[in-house]
Amino acid sequence: MRTSSMMKRMAAMSLAAAAGLTAGAAAAADAAPEAQRTIQVLSVKGGDAASPKAAVWKKAQTTQVALQTAFPGHASIVGTAVTQQLTAQAVRAGDRLFVKLAWNDVTANTAIKDTDQFVDGAAVQFPVNGEVSTLPFMGDAEHAVNVWHWRADGRTQNLIAKGFGTATPVPSEGLRSASVRTRDGWEVVISRPLQVKAEEGATLQGRSTMPIAFAAWDGENQERDGLKAVTMEWWQLRF
Amino acid sequence: MSQRQLAYVFDLNKCLGCHTCTMACKQLWTNRDGREYMYWNNVETRPGKGYPKNWEQKGGGFDNDGNLKTNGIIPIMADYGGRVGDFNLHEVLLEGKADQVVPHEKATWGPNWDEDEGAGDFPNNHSFYLPRICNHCSNPACLAACPTKAIYKRPEDGLVVVDQTRCKGYRYCVKACPYGKMYFNLQKGRSEKCIGCYPRVEKGEAPACVKQCSGRIRFWGYRDDQDGPVYKLVDKWKIALPLHAEYGTEPNVFYVPPMNVTPPPFEEDGRLSDKPRIPIEDLEALFGPRTKEALAILGREMQKRRQAQPSELTDILIGFTNKDRYGI
Repeated sequence: MRTSSMMKRMAAMSLAAAAGLTAGAAAAADAAPEAQRTIQVLSVKGGDAASPKAAVWKKAQTTQVALQTAFPGHASIVGTAVTQQLTAQAVRAGDRLFVKLAWNDVTANTAIKDTDQFVDGAAVQFPVNGEVSTLPFMGDAEHAVNVWHWRADGRTQNLIAKGFGTATPVPSEGLRSASVRTRDGWEVVISRPLQVKAEEGATLQGRSTMPIAFAAWDGENQERDGLKAVTMEWWQLRF
Repeated sequence: MSQRQLAYVFDLNKCLGCHTCTMACKQLWTNRDGREYMYWNNVETRPGKGYPKNWEQKGGGFDNDGNLKTNGIIPIMADYGGRVGDFNLHEVLLEGKADQVVPHEKATWGPNWDEDEGAGDFPNNHSFYLPRICNHCSNPACLAACPTKAIYKRPEDGLVVVDQTRCKGYRYCVKACPYGKMYFNLQKGRSEKCIGCYPRVEKGEAPACVKQCSGRIRFWGYRDDQDGPVYKLVDKWKIALPLHAEYGTEPNVFYVPPMNVTPPPFEEDGRLSDKPRIPIEDLEALFGPRTKEALAILGREMQKRRQAQPSELTDILIGFTNKDRYGI
């Protein structure tokens, strides 16, 4: 890769994204105007929200979230992501935030058994500074994002990224996930304490709203890394 | 860009197809920890489908404008030979469920699956051996394709290596290498490749595949060392050519094309023809348009020796001592 052309490409994408000029961003805005891009968090005293089948999820508001193929971010990333939408729900139980994602995926890719296989996945992303001015496309050098990445092989990673290709695992003892395979696809709950150490990601404690973004990977389509279905703009978690 | 570049010349006129290079590499690097299926060094028969199977059709490399091609595929385990080292020992020896030790998977391919088949009909059939390693390219497609910057060229010797702490196993590199020389380790979840035996190199030792070559076909050293065999064969005598230069990666393994490794073909009437047995088109498809010229130079120098005249080129190619072949 010619570094200079890569930099130009990324700069162009960042500018386009910041200006809201891309077709994808425009389409996303059409699909869900800013006022509607809200996910209401159901607050409960206690109880079990960790399982996707927990009773509390019947009470929490369900929001449809449209997804599009992400900006590639690198010349080697090509293709169109399969997943077009997911449903998102959020529950605050005690000092933890639980986010439930559900989406259609006809093939369960849960293990890498051959050299050309990839696993399904999903992620939520938060700006570490809590501001919508942070780029929702993996952040940038000055504005980090915190990603909770669930993989269908059972691994869940807490990541910090400062731009394309910089996602780095950071510790987070409190990050948990649970998933079930449904007839049509996946239901996944990812949860984490609202308050974490500064180096562990975005703090949610004491906020009335928090920007959030979503991603899904279909392993069957060899989706991994930047080949993924994402939200093109921040949504808002409303506590 | 590295400050210096280690490079190789393989003289295909001397390759026995003995696979000693392959075994040297396997014993040293790939007999464990998820690498069992990998042959960082392999020897394949040409014409043939090679290893991994049909690697010349896998795509990757760069287009004519220097842009990374994204048409590459990731070969599957079966293309490498599958898990042939994975036997039912547990069932036979401990559980008594079977009385014959067999691999779990029936192999349908392997690193020398089509060995010696070649092409053409008897008595004019033909084949030659093509040993292959990572080309430690000057413009590596694997490096260009990696979004996580896990692949780099060592500045001191140009060897292309994967930083295992940065690799995330996305396999864009496996897609991008047009030679099929990047491998995914299923056990580790990361990509791996020939490391040019850099731990040996750092101790002043030649790579294992070079040192162990019983046919003494391998020449090795710094590309810019004008006293070394690589410079002399590639730049001075111009008889060593890159494999598939059109892939655009600027490989640093060069080949002396095969000449007269088999007798001339028979004509219809049983007389020996004056044509080469291996069609020149076959060689040009691998080594490019300079193949004829390289073979002409080689033929001329060999003729000199037959007439008892001295030839620096044939002396280099004989490679009398280890020092002559790889400077150590």
